[in-house]
Amino acid sequence: MSKFQRFLLKRLAISVLLTLVAVSVIFVVLRLLPGSPFEALVTSGNLNQEQIDEIRAMYGLDQSIWVQYVNYLGSLLTFQFGYSILRSQPVWDVLEPRLINSLILLVPALVTTAILSSILGMYAGWNRGSRLEKFSIVSTTLLRSTPVFITAIFFIIVFAYNLEIVPALGMRSIRATPDGYVETFASLDFLHHYILPFTVAVLYYSGDFLLLARNGVVEKRGSEFLKLHRAKGLTEMEQLARAGRNSMLPILTYFTLRLGMIFQGLILLEVVFSWPGIGRELVLAIQQQDYPLVQAAVFIMALAVILANLLADVLYAYFDPTVSTSGGGSA
Amino acid sequence: MSTETKPTAELYERVDALWTTVRDQFAFLRRDPMAFAGMLVVAAFVFLGLFGPYLAPHDPIEHTVRGDGGSVLRLAAPSADAFFGTTAYGKDVLSQFLAGARPTLIVGLFGGLGTGALGFTVGVVSGYYGGWVDELLMRLTDLTFSLPFMPMALLLLTFMTPNIWLITAIIAAFLWKMPARVVRSEVLSVRERTFVKSARASGASDLRTMLYHVAPNVLPIGFLYTAYGVAWAIAAQASLAFLGFGDPTMTSWGRMLRQVFASGNMRVAWWWVLPPAIGIAAITTSVFLIGRAYEEVINPEIQTDQ
Repeated sequence: MSKFQRFLLKRLAISVLLTLVAVSVIFVVLRLLPGSPFEALVTSGNLNQEQIDEIRAMYGLDQSIWVQYVNYLGSLLTFQFGYSILRSQPVWDVLEPRLINSLILLVPALVTTAILSSILGMYAGWNRGSRLEKFSIVSTTLLRSTPVFITAIFFIIVFAYNLEIVPALGMRSIRATPDGYVETFASLDFLHHYILPFTVAVLYYSGDFLLLARNGVVEKRGSEFLKLHRAKGLTEMEQLARAGRNSMLPILTYFTLRLGMIFQGLILLEVVFSWPGIGRELVLAIQQQDYPLVQAAVFIMALAVILANLLADVLYAYFDPTVSTSGGGSA
Repeated sequence: MSTETKPTAELYERVDALWTTVRDQFAFLRRDPMAFAGMLVVAAFVFLGLFGPYLAPHDPIEHTVRGDGGSVLRLAAPSADAFFGTTAYGKDVLSQFLAGARPTLIVGLFGGLGTGALGFTVGVVSGYYGGWVDELLMRLTDLTFSLPFMPMALLLLTFMTPNIWLITAIIAAFLWKMPARVVRSEVLSVRERTFVKSARASGASDLRTMLYHVAPNVLPIGFLYTAYGVAWAIAAQASLAFLGFGDPTMTSWGRMLRQVFASGNMRVAWWWVLPPAIGIAAITTSVFLIGRAYEEVINPEIQTDQ
């Protein structure tokens, strides 16, 4: 077994273990929650004891906590998240379209910002001390340090309320009744609703990529290999392209990490824009104490982070052999 | 006995050195216009956090603003009666803004300090000892990386009644991983330097070596990440409050934004939106700008992460 394979195996085992701990924490926290979604039904007196027992049995709440735990683990492994208490639908049926809605907003935004702000960052780093560099750093610092819902509120006030060029809420207009994903997303109405949250997401994430790319290029600028390129008579832009290529690795790794954190980071964005995504659904489910829905949504978010961390570590170790494959993860 | 006087002299020396450092830093920050502006904002914010509630002309929650006719002013634009206008419930926005700085300051300060202190300690111990200690602590940081912050914080805050200290604790419990990793990687390089090795060779204990030889050399990074921790904590607190998971007994800027958003008055009442929104944006950005100015000085090679 090569060193890399051993590293891979170890990292994989750690990820499985982390997943197990994460889902256990979710389980414990949810069991500790006071009250239950059925209590409202029970106290309203609309159910008799027999019906209550029946409902509890249906959700497996009459069994011992250990049996519940084992069942819970089994159901997560098979992606069978159970039945949503308030929506009277299987959890996955509720979450799947919302997951798609989130992804369709966030993945294109992340890809766009990764490409655009990396290029801008490299250019800024190359022209160190220029006005462009100073401006881009200050503006992206402002955008990345301000909580995303505040940026979103400013944009809504300016572009939706005052200029009235885009709608402030939702994903489709209320009257739209699209059938299937293609009809939902391939329409001008959707695009009209899409543009504002998309822009805010792009701007919010731009800072990290920009700084990462800038730092990479700044660091490479003085290095020997660029002197060689300069001696060879390459133009400024060609030199920059080479310096840029050599600072791609941290950007790539960071992109993977961000992809994993994408749902949780933008819970607020979805809430502000009333975007029917998984983050907004989670907040609603918590408020309504819909356990099965909550645990499935948090599980999906945790899984995304764990997988992305794994991928980032592996990418880093694979592309950069100088990184020790025996130590912890990449920074 | 020299054992009596020596530590005192040493202490004076240290305090003097510390004071010089503070003055140098101040001079340094003044040269960077953005960082200097940030520092002014932070100073204003700390002032508001300390004295804001006493400056507030009215009680932010109890008092109801009334017009000349004695009727309650609801959603009134800024006027002589209420400089920042009133909310949909007839409360004075200026008073809420002034009082709302305090929870933001408390969570920011203690959340940031907690994050920095915890992360610094874990990073130093982990990097210094290496081996299984390192393995254990780093897997623990992996775990906090794997538990998504927002959803977990929301879960915990449903289970326990939110109060400001609980929110601070949750934030520190999740954010210490950032400084921990950076400090650890710094310690790994410091550990190999000659003065650490000679300290150990001359018989210094692990604790002494860590405290006197390793820690001071990674302290700047620790401070930097404490500053970032402050900004993260403020942002997290505002976000949680906006989602309705804030301390219900205190007026905070995040909570003000939640109320204007949830009441559906965002479209009309700009005077209700802007003060808390600008307040939060200004303070988090200022802390980051100061941090960036330092980052270049402390370690020009460091990659910005997270």
